[in-house]
Amino acid sequence: MKTLICLSLCCSLFSGCSFKNVKPWEKESLAKPIMQFGGIHGAVSKYESHVYFSKEAARGGAGVGGGGCGCN
Amino acid sequence: MIKKTLSTLLLSSFAVMALETGDAVPQAIQDELKLENNQTYVIDFFASWCKSCKKELPLVEKVAQENVTHIIGVNVDKKEEDGKKFVADLGLTFPIIYDNDKKLVEAFDPMGFPAIYYVKDGKVVNVIFGAVNDIDEQIKKDMQELK
Repeated sequence: MKTLICLSLCCSLFSGCSFKNVKPWEKESLAKPIMQFGGIHGAVSKYESHVYFSKEAARGGAGVGGGGCGCN
Repeated sequence: MIKKTLSTLLLSSFAVMALETGDAVPQAIQDELKLENNQTYVIDFFASWCKSCKKELPLVEKVAQENVTHIIGVNVDKKEEDGKKFVADLGLTFPIIYDNDKKLVEAFDPMGFPAIYYVKDGKVVNVIFGAVNDIDEQIKKDMQELK
């Protein structure tokens, strides 16, 4: 009996802290174009990062291999 | 009494198990889907925002047109009108159930979309998750094997 009470309390406590997984059918908002990396207009984001890395002379700073003047 | 309550509490803390091959579909869900015995059904769960579903559904429609088996589509969109527009755009003619309260999808609990369940005599006999390039051929082949 004591074990059962202890086990029930543990389950209740642990389930209270548990992380609820997002189910596949709940991913509608995540599937929207706005949720993609760089926002809805990927080209704008690409252009902005081109300008940034050219100004900073740090082409490749975002994880892209290579370097140079950033003028191409 | 306390023992019974505690046991219920303990059991309820575990997640509901997803339906897998060999599992019986609960009677309430069978009734909802209007399944009949001695029949094989292909139950296709899809959503309008699912890119793979958009690619796969025209091929499923092709199978439906050929009367290979009974096909039931289950749309899981948040808004029924989104699902209806998607179905109309694709020109699907097989029966579609709009699972607004998510009763059906929660019962099957697929791990991804599109999800295709083959149900024969109230039992899940095969499951396909994700898009398959030639799903029409796959369904025909599977139906031959299930006969």
